[in-house]
Amino acid sequence: MAILQGPASWPSILLARASVAGAATDIEAAEGAGAWTAWRQAAASLTPEQVIRLVSTSGLRGRGGSGHPTGAKWQACAAWPSAIRYVVANGFEADPGAQLDRTLMETDPHAVLEGVVLAAYAVRATTAIIAVNSRYTTAIERLRAAITAAESKGYLGANAMSTGSELWVEVRELAGSFVLGEETVLLRALEDRRAQPDQRPPYPTELGLWGEPTVVNNVETLAAVPWIVANGSSAYAAIGAHAAPGTTLIQLSGAIRNPGIVEVPLGTTLREVLDGVGGGPTGTFKAALVGGPSGGFLPVEALDTPLGFGELSAAGAILGSGTVVVADQTTCLVDLSALLTRYLNDEACGKTIPCRIGTRRLAELGQGFCTGRSRPSDAALVASLSADIQDAALCGLERTAVNPLLTGMRYFGQEFADHIDRGSCPAGVCQPIRVASVAH
Amino acid sequence: MTDTLPARRAEPIDAIAEQLLTTQSPQRPQLTPAFDLQIDGRTLVGRVGQTILEVCRDNGVEVPTLCYEPKLPGFGACRMCVVEVEGEDSPPISCSRDAQPGMVVQTQTPRLRQVRKTNLELIFSDHNAYCLPPCQNKCPSHIDIPGFLKANTEGSFIESARIFKRTIPFPSILGRVCPAPCEEHCRRDEVEEAIAIRDTHRYAGDQVLKAQAAGMKAPVPFEVQPASGKRAAVIGSGPAGMAAAYYLAIAGHEVTVFERDPAPGGMLRYGIPQYRLPKVEVLEAEYQGAWDLGVKLVSNAELGRDFTVSDLQNQGFDAVCVAIGCYDTNKLGIPGEDAEGVLEGLEYLRIATLGLPYPGHEGTRVVVVGGGFTSMDCSRTSIRQGAKEVTLVYRRDMKDMPAANEVHEMIEEGARAIFQAAPTRVATDANNKVVGMEFQRMVAGAPDASGRRRPEPLAGSEFIIECDRVLLAIGQGPDLRWTARGSEGVGANKQRRLAADAVTFSTGRPGVFGTGDVRTGAATVVQAVAEGRRAAYAMDAYLKGMDLEAIRTRQTLAEPQPEFLSIVPYTSEVKEPRLRLKAMPAEVRNKSYIEYEMPYTQQEAMAESGRCLQCTCEAIGYCDLRRQGIEYGTTLKTLEPSRTGTSFRSVSENRFTGTNHDYIRDDSHAFILREPSRCIDCGRCANVCKEVVGAACYDFMRTGFDTLVTTPLDMSLNTTPCVSCGRCAETCPTGALMPKPRVLEKFQVDESRCILCGICVDACPYDALRHGPDFELAHDSRQEPAIDLLAISAMDRDTEMTYVRRERDWLTRAQADGRGIPAERLLPMLPAGAIGAPARPTNGESRPQGGGHSGHLHAK
Repeated sequence: MAILQGPASWPSILLARASVAGAATDIEAAEGAGAWTAWRQAAASLTPEQVIRLVSTSGLRGRGGSGHPTGAKWQACAAWPSAIRYVVANGFEADPGAQLDRTLMETDPHAVLEGVVLAAYAVRATTAIIAVNSRYTTAIERLRAAITAAESKGYLGANAMSTGSELWVEVRELAGSFVLGEETVLLRALEDRRAQPDQRPPYPTELGLWGEPTVVNNVETLAAVPWIVANGSSAYAAIGAHAAPGTTLIQLSGAIRNPGIVEVPLGTTLREVLDGVGGGPTGTFKAALVGGPSGGFLPVEALDTPLGFGELSAAGAILGSGTVVVADQTTCLVDLSALLTRYLNDEACGKTIPCRIGTRRLAELGQGFCTGRSRPSDAALVASLSADIQDAALCGLERTAVNPLLTGMRYFGQEFADHIDRGSCPAGVCQPIRVASVAH
Repeated sequence: MTDTLPARRAEPIDAIAEQLLTTQSPQRPQLTPAFDLQIDGRTLVGRVGQTILEVCRDNGVEVPTLCYEPKLPGFGACRMCVVEVEGEDSPPISCSRDAQPGMVVQTQTPRLRQVRKTNLELIFSDHNAYCLPPCQNKCPSHIDIPGFLKANTEGSFIESARIFKRTIPFPSILGRVCPAPCEEHCRRDEVEEAIAIRDTHRYAGDQVLKAQAAGMKAPVPFEVQPASGKRAAVIGSGPAGMAAAYYLAIAGHEVTVFERDPAPGGMLRYGIPQYRLPKVEVLEAEYQGAWDLGVKLVSNAELGRDFTVSDLQNQGFDAVCVAIGCYDTNKLGIPGEDAEGVLEGLEYLRIATLGLPYPGHEGTRVVVVGGGFTSMDCSRTSIRQGAKEVTLVYRRDMKDMPAANEVHEMIEEGARAIFQAAPTRVATDANNKVVGMEFQRMVAGAPDASGRRRPEPLAGSEFIIECDRVLLAIGQGPDLRWTARGSEGVGANKQRRLAADAVTFSTGRPGVFGTGDVRTGAATVVQAVAEGRRAAYAMDAYLKGMDLEAIRTRQTLAEPQPEFLSIVPYTSEVKEPRLRLKAMPAEVRNKSYIEYEMPYTQQEAMAESGRCLQCTCEAIGYCDLRRQGIEYGTTLKTLEPSRTGTSFRSVSENRFTGTNHDYIRDDSHAFILREPSRCIDCGRCANVCKEVVGAACYDFMRTGFDTLVTTPLDMSLNTTPCVSCGRCAETCPTGALMPKPRVLEKFQVDESRCILCGICVDACPYDALRHGPDFELAHDSRQEPAIDLLAISAMDRDTEMTYVRRERDWLTRAQADGRGIPAERLLPMLPAGAIGAPARPTNGESRPQGGGHSGHLHAK
């Protein structure tokens, strides 16, 4: 997927070395472009506590979707009494449509690795695992090469950077369903156990991999850490929105002129991204699916929502995987939201009842709208069932699986009403609806 | 350490053993520090490391769970144990959340109940299984209907009748006179038509009667208990009284039945005509089963006329059961009711059922008033007795008639029926003789307490039916005149019925019980039998000296709840129409007292029974899902009228419907029955099997909606590392995994072939074989019973032969040593030649000493 160049005012942190030739495969080239300076600096002059304080004051928040403050997470893990701690970098990228983590790991494996090393140093972990989707063979290859090169340079190993402590990083290939995006599921998968979520708390920072305190961070979060250590936390905090500073990767696809991946400062509005870098929609803009399959549909009126955790959540969507899929007038939102709900149900691990059966019933209710087999009370039933699913949700998949239908009904109520009450599909997608409603 | 060792050596061996045992005994759980927290407004003590659920359970706070297994850490799949914790947005699940000091927890808020209810509804929307079948639920006596239908299908009709007799002693009688409320609720109706439940047990009962005629004794449902030495008197030999007598006799009490008429049977004999219930072939033959149990009959003895309750108690009866029924016909309360020719329906039937023509009935025009079974019997008997014209008049609509299913047969036979008309007066001539009856049209009004719409008169719609005779069949009440003298303490209630408790059946007088119609008012035969049976249980408890109030709960729980869960409907059954009994042509039967319905052939009875969907669950008594379903109101309380309008069918009240799974039952394993359609994917079996047993036979398979906790590739349990320990069946909250029902068999140990290996003791999953006074297995390597189950199957006759060889070698050596061998030491199967002459036992010879020998068996 193409990397798009944003306006000059947008800082380049995560993709800074994307244009440097050889930086992805050659450690010398990467070092020439600034890689590993932060680790050298930290090992020489910073205590682990100082690293945590730097990350805390930078305001960095988790890019895996949760938006949890990274510094607080590290602090919790470091404070939990234990002899062993782990750092897990999540490069699984559960959203099958997203290429962001993949692009990051392929273009700058050293940034990811250096972030992992800094995190391990900060929480005093001796082992770190980078969990990568097994389909990302290039990323795995480059990360492994980067680890070997870093070990030969002494950045990792028995006496990493002469800090006197061991530090080993390992790349683990994982295969699995969408639910592996959930951190507790990822940990169970790394333990070779049944990939099902557990209730939090206890958070992995207390009870993580093999029962030890564990920091689980997205690779994108970790890749920003070297920049913060090298340039200072206040420089990072000055970028983007005040509540959630820094940059994030956004992938534009669907009915848009310039699809691709772009690094965007948080706080930028969706409209700026879509109309600026994205070059505007190819047809009439109808909705943007923000955050992956379990994200939400935002209409044209909601495009001024800034990219941020709280703001998107209030609008019904999530930052999630960082993908923005643009839908034009040829898309039926009823059809698409039913399809996404069904996808999420199929990807569920099957542990809890609201998720296993509840999201299936949601998908069936949505399918009923499409085929004209719904009862008048079904819209209310969707809302009530969604509320109950969210209320008792065990994991993020379950909690967000209701988003497509809920935001669809919230912003495109007219289109749903057309299906339910009049038996017509304005987009002309749900073809059997007339036949079905006549036969019914 | 070094100091203690020599001291230990000096201790007597018992003390060492004791010490060893003490150190190996299970350690008491260490008490962790306590703290206070608030649950449901109460301050409770929790301990560090306990989850909220554990604190709740320790303190008797009820939190529903389905997936929680006390042996293991909380799993969190069922989402039933959610609780609200102050300061948290979403409710956590209590089984996986540690209790913290000062926590404020709510376990029963509307929000939590809503979440739990939704959960249960979602489970039921994919729960392709059934609890108690509605037929059994709706049967007043709760017969195990799927059970006897299954026995019927297998052709074992005697067993079928035995199952029936567990709750109703008279399958043949009920097979003829029961209104079959069960059939109205049969789920087969959702496929095409209800099963002929009554006709099939009639066939099974008739097979018993046939066998009895050939000299066999009627099957007894339970083992007859040894004589208790207590005496019980039952007054009335109708269905209620005889049912009570029957079960009291089985319980070991000496029972005497008092009957005011010359022959026993009550309403069965004097109220139901011969053409519906043959008196000799069926009634008397089936009652024989009770007399066979030792029940005594005293006839021509009427309560109040010949004896009083006090008399019976003075004669040494420890308990008295009053089951005298209802014989006082209600009055209409209209002018002319006392005219000549206005008869009580029962009075008429009493003569007619004896086979005697009622004087002057032939050629008359008869009007029958009422809509119950008595009115039907009056009409149809009148036709048979040659009445010129028979008209039945009922004030409500036909569908409200208790005897609606007989109306068509009656009309076929030549009577006519008028609905929605109520009598207003009897027209008489100068001699006060009936010449006609005036009726008024009724219209349906608002529904009354019984759910039927109350008829209201339509002014100006009066009409007269000319007639010579009026038979009143508008219901009966009990005759309670006997209560006055000699029966003090027994009295009537507000409804003018015998005052007796509905559960314990006790009247105001200790040791006196009331049951049947005399307590409930005129009802059906099956209701009377159910009353009688339950009264017998209460009386049995009383005779055993139990407190009647204390057994109230037991008595209530013994009867299934009148609710069942709303579940997925049947969709994919093959349609097989109901086999109907053939009736004689109306023009033949309306002159005859012979039973007019032709019984099934054996093939028909088996085929009809085979239509049963067996919509029952063996786990009914201990299913957590059912219990919580009832608690959270996901039950079905209403039924809607079926397509035909005469019956009701179940409707699903579940908010969620959709695709559901239909899995195949797996009964390939010898001990564990798997019914995956009942699985709720709680994961308890998988976790217990893996974490406790270590076998890991089950796990979550597939993803999404199709997730199922099952064996890898759904293979048979036989192919997994299953050790038949049964823990999965034990932990299963529903009926998805069950210990397999086994046919009772008696086993015998052939001691001549037993090789004393002890494998049976070690391998028995239920600890059924162990050391005891009658059977002793000695084994000198019992410390390490390394049983390789796979190797056992490879063992064959070889082992046996090896053992014989070893025994012979040992014998040879013993003989060579000059030791005498006692005869009981020799295995009987040892070839006679091997024993030889020197082996003859001599007294005082020393026993063989230790070594080399694997064991010996003493059979005492």
